[in-house]
Amino acid sequence: MNTHFQNDLAEILKERAAKGQISRRQMLQGFAALLGTTALGAGAAKAQDGRLVFVNWGGDALDAMDEAFGTPFTEETGIEVLYDGSGPTEGAITAQVQGGNPSWDLVDADPFTSQALGRKGLMEPIDYDIVDESKQREGFGWEYSSSCYFYSYVIAYDATQFDEPPTSIADFFDTEKFPGKRSMYKWGAGMWEAALLADGVAPEDLYPLDLERAHAKIDGFKEHIGAFWGGGAESQSLLLNGDVSMALIWNTRASLLHKDTEGEITFTWQDGIIGPGGIGVLKGNPGGTEAAMRYIAATQDPERQVVLFQMLGNAPSNPAADALIPEDERRFNAMDPENRPKQIALDTDWYEENYGAALDAYLQIISA
Amino acid sequence: MRAFLFLICPVLLFLGVSYLLPFLGIVQLSFTDPDPGLAQYSRVLTEDLPTGVIWRTLRLCVLVTAVSVSCAYVITLLWVRGSPLVRSITELCIMIPFWISVLSRAFGWLSMLSNRGLLNTWLQDMGLIDSAIQMTRNEFAVVVGMSHYLIPFAVFPLATAMRNVDERVLTAADGMGASRLRIFWQIFLPMTSSGILGATLLVFVFSIGFYVTPALLGGGQSVLVAELIYLWIFQIPQWGMAAAMSVVLMLGVGGILYVLMRRYGEMAK
Repeated sequence: MNTHFQNDLAEILKERAAKGQISRRQMLQGFAALLGTTALGAGAAKAQDGRLVFVNWGGDALDAMDEAFGTPFTEETGIEVLYDGSGPTEGAITAQVQGGNPSWDLVDADPFTSQALGRKGLMEPIDYDIVDESKQREGFGWEYSSSCYFYSYVIAYDATQFDEPPTSIADFFDTEKFPGKRSMYKWGAGMWEAALLADGVAPEDLYPLDLERAHAKIDGFKEHIGAFWGGGAESQSLLLNGDVSMALIWNTRASLLHKDTEGEITFTWQDGIIGPGGIGVLKGNPGGTEAAMRYIAATQDPERQVVLFQMLGNAPSNPAADALIPEDERRFNAMDPENRPKQIALDTDWYEENYGAALDAYLQIISA
Repeated sequence: MRAFLFLICPVLLFLGVSYLLPFLGIVQLSFTDPDPGLAQYSRVLTEDLPTGVIWRTLRLCVLVTAVSVSCAYVITLLWVRGSPLVRSITELCIMIPFWISVLSRAFGWLSMLSNRGLLNTWLQDMGLIDSAIQMTRNEFAVVVGMSHYLIPFAVFPLATAMRNVDERVLTAADGMGASRLRIFWQIFLPMTSSGILGATLLVFVFSIGFYVTPALLGGGQSVLVAELIYLWIFQIPQWGMAAAMSVVLMLGVGGILYVLMRRYGEMAK
């Protein structure tokens, strides 16, 4: 989920740069913020010599990023940063660490993935002496993953198709009142919660998820699904092409749709499902745990997080950043005090335990 | 002969190290991860998700093979037996797709077939349909996309077979008063059957491993074997299951190949 989401952020940046909505410099800034490559600053100048490899979902921009940020970063801190875009999936991290000689230091993996791997002894615990816990939101700090941003699965819809806009997840599942095909996420996360909420489960009773009930709901609704999207660009084009009239998609894409179509395709925060993103450190990482932790600490800077938000639309993990966001853009911040209460957050503990089996069952339903 | 064996050694060594050894590792994994035994195989062969995916893959690939080989047959006929102009146009149509990546083609089909895509817009403008027909994000789109990719590959074995047909036999049949349709069904088609079988083999084996096209055009509703294996390796790591699935897939394809190859050998005699 987040792995795909991460990948998508890089795509958004490239698209916006291509359309001339942001400058190349801004794009690179965005990449830097995305990867947590903020300069550690003068205070960290005595950081130990070394090298860090940060693994994310890459693309063409890796070289440019290295040139623009890797070099000055090295000059300031003595820590060389290399970027690897090969994708830190759970399987890939396992292979790295179990192979006995990992070449990665930091990974942008799902918090629940980091947690699961951490308990198997494959990740370093986050050092909260260096990483500042007070710069994380309440309830979103983990043992093996440091919160770095948030996104949300929201109801996006083609406003031209309906007289009255949908106002809840129940409306998403109501094709009588809101005609047209729907689209949901192919990899399950957030969709179980949505189905259960629509089926009448109270937000506070969601976890542990009643998967059978969720799958029954989705199975019964399947004939109205035009597609299960697997990536952000796909979710966006489904709505733009008119293939579906409503979709549960990442708020980053929904915000873009809203801006690009001047509100013809828009979204609501109501019943959104918040997904947390986090950075983890591989066990026995070659660059040294302390250097890696300093790197994470540098990503907590609120001003950097605002840059990230403005580039990509994902919400800051540092609550101090909310107020720094310009007034007219706050409506797009998933964690804004206005928007946050309308949504519920994914439960990392539940996903850590159950995601594998749940996804198997979900795929069985949607692809049958 | 000895010199030949000597020269081929590096290739065999390369294949052994880069394919055979890793494959043996996969076989081992399939029996040992997470616990030693046959559990992974019994899960792959009995659980709903893997068996469902296996059957869907087989069904889709048979369909794609049938569509590709039939289309390729017509195209090859034009290429081999058409007038010079038709030949050069056909040749372009066969070659150009080789220069376009799988990904671009999948997206091309999306913009062609989606609800506000070219085809639907044309049909609506011409007044043939009232509302858009959903042609993407389903198995129809997957079959179209995969066939489009595979047709050129089917053309070459067919062309070889067609070029080998002895013109005099056709002339003789014509001289004896057979209709054109009869000449085709009773003489030309049987004489090119080795080409059909060769094309079928090639296309079917290729189609089994498809990943990108079904993932994009299928709208998440037609997960095939390759995607499931990817999922089990990277997304929700169950390496034993992925390994067992790979071995089953390999044995299955190997079995089909073996049967078809024997048949092909008999035919080619």
